[in-house]
Amino acid sequence: MIVTPDGAVAAGLLPLLWAAAVASLVLAAALALVPRLSLLSPILSTVGGACALALGCGLLTTGSSLAATGGNVLGMAALSVRYDGLSGAFLIAFGLSAAAAALSVVGEQPRSRPEGAAFPLFLGSILLVLGANTGFSFLLAWESMALLSAFLVVGLRPTRAVVSAGNVYLAMTHVATAAILIAFAILAAGSGGQLDFAAWHAAVPNLTPVTRDVVLVLVAVGFTTKAGAIPFHSWLPRAHPVAPSHVSAVMSGAMIKTGIYGLIRLIVDVMGGSPDWLSLAILGIGAISAVMGVLYAVMQHDIKRLLAYHSIENIGIILIGLGSSLLLQAHGATELAALALAAAIFHSINHAAFKSLLFIGAGAVIHATGLHDLNRLGGLGRKMPVTMLTFGIGAAAISGLPPLNGFASEWLTFQGLFGAAGSVAVEPLARFAAAATIGALALTTALAVACFVKATGVTFLGLPRSAAAAAAHETTIPARAAMGFLAALCVGLGLAAGPVAGALTTVARSTLRVGGTPAARVAAVASGPGSGEAATYAALALGLLMLAAIAVVAIFSHSRTRARRVDTWTCGIAPKPAFQYTATSYSKPIRLFFRRVLVPEREVRVEYHPGTAFPSSISYRSEITLLLEDRVLKPVHQLSLRGANFARKLQGGAIQLYVAYIVIAVLALLLWAR
Amino acid sequence: MNGSTTTTALLAVIQLIGFVVFAPFLAATIKRTKAGLQSRRGPGLLQPYRDLIKWWGKKPLESSASGPVARYAPAFVLGTIVTAALLVPWATSRTPLLGWGDLLVVVGLFAAARFALALAALDSGSAFGGMGSSRDVAISALAEPGLVLALAGAAIAAGSSDLGAISAFGIGQGIGLLGPAHLLAAAAFAIVVAAESGHYPVDNPDTHLELTMIHEGMLLEASGRSLATLIFASELKLAVLAAIFAAVFLPFGAATELAPLPIAFGLVAGMIKMLIVGQGLAFVDASIAKVRILELPDLLGLASLLALAGLAVQVLLP
Repeated sequence: MIVTPDGAVAAGLLPLLWAAAVASLVLAAALALVPRLSLLSPILSTVGGACALALGCGLLTTGSSLAATGGNVLGMAALSVRYDGLSGAFLIAFGLSAAAAALSVVGEQPRSRPEGAAFPLFLGSILLVLGANTGFSFLLAWESMALLSAFLVVGLRPTRAVVSAGNVYLAMTHVATAAILIAFAILAAGSGGQLDFAAWHAAVPNLTPVTRDVVLVLVAVGFTTKAGAIPFHSWLPRAHPVAPSHVSAVMSGAMIKTGIYGLIRLIVDVMGGSPDWLSLAILGIGAISAVMGVLYAVMQHDIKRLLAYHSIENIGIILIGLGSSLLLQAHGATELAALALAAAIFHSINHAAFKSLLFIGAGAVIHATGLHDLNRLGGLGRKMPVTMLTFGIGAAAISGLPPLNGFASEWLTFQGLFGAAGSVAVEPLARFAAAATIGALALTTALAVACFVKATGVTFLGLPRSAAAAAAHETTIPARAAMGFLAALCVGLGLAAGPVAGALTTVARSTLRVGGTPAARVAAVASGPGSGEAATYAALALGLLMLAAIAVVAIFSHSRTRARRVDTWTCGIAPKPAFQYTATSYSKPIRLFFRRVLVPEREVRVEYHPGTAFPSSISYRSEITLLLEDRVLKPVHQLSLRGANFARKLQGGAIQLYVAYIVIAVLALLLWAR
Repeated sequence: MNGSTTTTALLAVIQLIGFVVFAPFLAATIKRTKAGLQSRRGPGLLQPYRDLIKWWGKKPLESSASGPVARYAPAFVLGTIVTAALLVPWATSRTPLLGWGDLLVVVGLFAAARFALALAALDSGSAFGGMGSSRDVAISALAEPGLVLALAGAAIAAGSSDLGAISAFGIGQGIGLLGPAHLLAAAAFAIVVAAESGHYPVDNPDTHLELTMIHEGMLLEASGRSLATLIFASELKLAVLAAIFAAVFLPFGAATELAPLPIAFGLVAGMIKMLIVGQGLAFVDASIAKVRILELPDLLGLASLLALAGLAVQVLLP
């Protein structure tokens, strides 16, 4: 394998980092299979993730790129990677998620030894996806990633429910791969059989408009399925609750981002943009995913399913950024297009940080109590202060609260929408669509606040709602370190949002092939104050001011006398844990407000002591209807099953039948070619 | 009209003192007018100050179930809203902290305050805290699209989402500012102000009946300085919302140059505009019934639709 840097001299360290990342992941996989040494495997995976993170930062700061070619796989084609700034940005998301997830399981035995080995290989496959620069390498890495992640979800000894979740995931991910494969085949045919992304880009002008549109649609469908956007989302909430928490952290933090990476790489970089109808479709899918994702999330009381629905929401926010960028680019508003694309990339990195943190935190809670159900948790903060603090920071970050990182990227996404709605070059109806999306994004962020107050408050505050919750204990030191690292990143990326957004805008500009120097008077995230004309978010200055204001008020209002401890007011009777609002009751107002979309059903069953009016037990069950799954996905699913049954009939197994098919096919071909 | 760092610091100090002194007074005038409309005399205009001083000196009680979240949330809430208060134009058309943050930052700071308060309400394990908290976050979720969309129209017209730039643009437009898009957005924002500040027809600011409280329900376990801090924070938030309404929808009267006389005039003009917004709230408080909680989506959805209609007029009609 040859490693050649084709960038500046300062980038000389980058090939070493890349080689170190690959080597430690491969070694980690090998060690996981050795009985005595298997505990070293997560440590090496952590090193691999950290190297990828450093590589990403290096690519971003030096502006150089890194290429490597080698190995003929099965005599078909060479493996080839080329990491540029865009790869670097997504390497950061991948690296921080992978390093923290691997660190969180240091010292723990995996579910089984093969799973222990599959995890570093899964990380390695994502590393390759982000660099692959030929169709062949990309699909090879992509498919390895899909299969390894499916294996990690299902495990060696799955229950029936887990197998079903795994099947849904495998089916969806292969629909995605099929769409991408066809698109790649068309692109390869269009460029005279070449597999290079660069060659495909050069050949795009030769494609007919129809071919171009077909490729764009296939790419969009394939990659949004991997990203988990609605309506291709149904695998996400099934796969996450059954996967181990550190696997969920990487799947949600890094793997679904490869879908976003693929969209940007293929649509922006290779195809050079998209027509308005597709940009608006991506914007619309983003808005629907964001709103419906968070609405379904609020309704969940399984902590991991709640987080899974939030991934759909955040992918939606990222797609809103991407959609507005494509729209702006098509109408020559390149500076704003770069800003919106930077927003999408920034949110991908931020989501990797806080979602990995929240999944590791959820894992800690499940580990400490054995419970997934929020309705049986409560009061864990006293037993798990580090988990509460870090989970709380992650919750505030994902809710888009200043001065944390989630706010900075959502602010940029909003600015992209303001730009699209205000650009006179854009069609009026498209401008109105962008304006309406502003409302959808505002609704999303406010519902996210509701959801994470619920998730954090019901889990960590109040009184324990079950014996298991009362007996909880703090998680392991490596897991605490992993959460601490990610929480520090949520704060750090928030306060340093100015330089980070600046670097990502540079990446976005080069991906969009924008030349020249940046024009003034575009909204920006900066460290210090702006001019007051174009909108500015002075992340560092404002964050410090906010912290100072809070500190001053806290010191000033600190009571000289010690507070007297009294029971919580419950109208005169002794407080009990059952008096508290549960996760289900907390989300009731939202369930009622959005009843036309959520279609909630409830069932109250009361049993009485025989012959009296005194109830002996009351049970309450409440469920929401997943309209999209029932009305859209189920019919599609049934149709494809019927199609499969028909196809099975064609395959009768008799050799005469197959000979007959061949004869018919040859005859038909002869007739056609006549 | 940019001025130096000293000007920025001076304006920030003036505005901070202005808001701290004026916010309880604004709350008092609302109570007073509401009482008058209901044929009562109502508390004096200094009563909010007396209340705050009284709570400040009280010995605090803390729930035995609650911990650091409930203890530090009041400081977080007030600190956050004080920060927001410096990002809103009052006396001048520019914001005191020039270029530190735009309307989205103010909305984000409000969300941060709400997050902390709603979380603190769950800390004591009280049913009433959960009730208030869950209703507050749900209602805010309905109000937020209206809030952002109403301001988005003005931001798109001004070409910047900086509140100072929006205000200056509005002053520059003169009477021509008051077109249909502007009026629709103003109507939407008015509904949102009522919802966000816990006034009729969404919440009753004077109720202490446990089952109907929303904002007050979250404060049930707070006492002493914590209570004073939280009450003051909600008075301040109302004043900031009124100031945003004044700066975006009635920007006239604010100083466009940094000279003592226009600034003094702008201070008084801003105060009068905020009092007018407060009187509007008092009038609504006294004259209509509270909307059933199940029908709030209709009311707040109306706000979003009005704002969207404003945007449609602005974007689709050249």
